[in-house]
Amino acid sequence: MPQLEQIEFFISQLFWLGVFFVILFVVLTYFTLPKIRAFLKKRDEFVNSHLSKQDELIKKAEQLIENYESKLNEAKDKASQIINEAKENALKESEKLIKETEEKIQSEIKKTEARVDQEKKQALVDLEGQLKDSATSFLGKITNINKEDIKI
Amino acid sequence: MAKGESPLKQFEIQPLVELNLFGQNISFTNSSLWMTITTIFILAFFTIPFLKSKKTNSVEDLYPSRLQVAAEMGFNFINNLITDTAGKEGRKYFPLVFSLFMFILFGNLFGMIPYSFTFTSHIIVTFGLALGVFIFVTVLGFIKHGFKFFSFFVIPGLPIYMLPLLIPIEVISYLSRPISLAVRLFANMLAGHTLLKVFAGFVSALGFFGILPLVFIVALTGLEILIAFLQAYVFAILTCLYINDALHLH
Repeated sequence: MPQLEQIEFFISQLFWLGVFFVILFVVLTYFTLPKIRAFLKKRDEFVNSHLSKQDELIKKAEQLIENYESKLNEAKDKASQIINEAKENALKESEKLIKETEEKIQSEIKKTEARVDQEKKQALVDLEGQLKDSATSFLGKITNINKEDIKI
Repeated sequence: MAKGESPLKQFEIQPLVELNLFGQNISFTNSSLWMTITTIFILAFFTIPFLKSKKTNSVEDLYPSRLQVAAEMGFNFINNLITDTAGKEGRKYFPLVFSLFMFILFGNLFGMIPYSFTFTSHIIVTFGLALGVFIFVTVLGFIKHGFKFFSFFVIPGLPIYMLPLLIPIEVISYLSRPISLAVRLFANMLAGHTLLKVFAGFVSALGFFGILPLVFIVALTGLEILIAFLQAYVFAILTCLYINDALHLH
C-alpha cells in the first residue's frame, strides 16, 4: 500500500497540506466568507424592507377599496333619493293639475248653470211681456180701447 | 490501467518538483498538485460569483446568478450544520468547518476524475487534518474552561467508585477521536477507489462480457460520489460536535 510504504513523502504531504489548507482557510475567512455574508445580509434586508413596504401598500389598497365602496354607496343613495323626489314631485304636479282642471270644469259648469237660469228667467220675463202684449192687443182689438190704456 | 498493475498503484505518490527544506523532503508531488487544484477551485467557486460590483440597491444586483446560488447553498449548508450542532457560539468557528468540509469534499470529488489523484485517500493527509481538528478543539476547551476542561472526562451523576474505571475509558475515547476521524475518511476513499480499479480490471479481462462490470462501475461511481459527499459531511459534523463539546463540556 503506497499510503504506508512511501514514508519519505509524509513530511512533503503534511507540508503541502498545511500550506494549502492555511491558504484556503485564511482567504475564505478574511475575504470570501465576509463577502458572501455581506451579500446575504444585504439581500435579506432588501427583501424584508420590501415585505414591510408590501404590507403598507396592501393596507393602502384596502383603504382605497373601502373609500371607493363607501363613495359608491353614497352615490347610489343620492341617486335613489333624487329619483324618489322626482317621482313625488311629478305625482304632486299631476294631482295639482287634475284638481285645477276639475275646479275649472266645476266653475264652468256653475257658470253655465247660472247663465241657463238667467236665460230661463229672461225667457219667462220675455214670455210674460209678450203674453201681456198679445193680451193687450187682443183686448184692444175686441174692446177697441187704446192699447196704451189697458192695464193688466 | 495496464495489465498486471496493482489496483493500489493509483495511490502512488509521484514527485513532480524535487524540493528540500532543512534537510526534509518537501517535494511538490501529484498529491500537492491536486491540493493546489482543489484550493484554487474552492476559492474561485465561492469568490467569483460575489465579485461583481453591487453598488446600487436594485433588484437585478441582488438577484443571484446560478453560480452564486450554488455557492450560497454550500454556505447555508455549513451554516445550518454548525448552528444545529454547536449552537450560536459555534458560529464563530464557521470558517474552519467550512474550509474543512469544502477541502475534503472537493478533494474527494476531484479524486473521482479518471487519472486524477485523491489526496484524501492518504492516511497521512487525513490524519494531518484530524490531528489539526483534535489539537484545535483541545486548545479551545482549555482556553474556554481552563483546568475545568478535565471535568469533561467525568460523566456527571455517576457514583464515585465508578470513576477509576470510566475516566480511563473516556480519556482513551477522547484520544482516539483523531484516529477514528482520520481512518474513516482514509478507509472509505481507499476502499472505493480500489474497488473501482478492481472492477475496471475485470472489464478488460472479460472481453465482451466486460460490459457487466462496466455497468457495475457506472453504478459504483455514483455511489462513490455519494460517499465523497458523505465522508466530507461526516468529517465536518464530527468537527462541529467536538467544537460543541469543547464549548459546553457536558
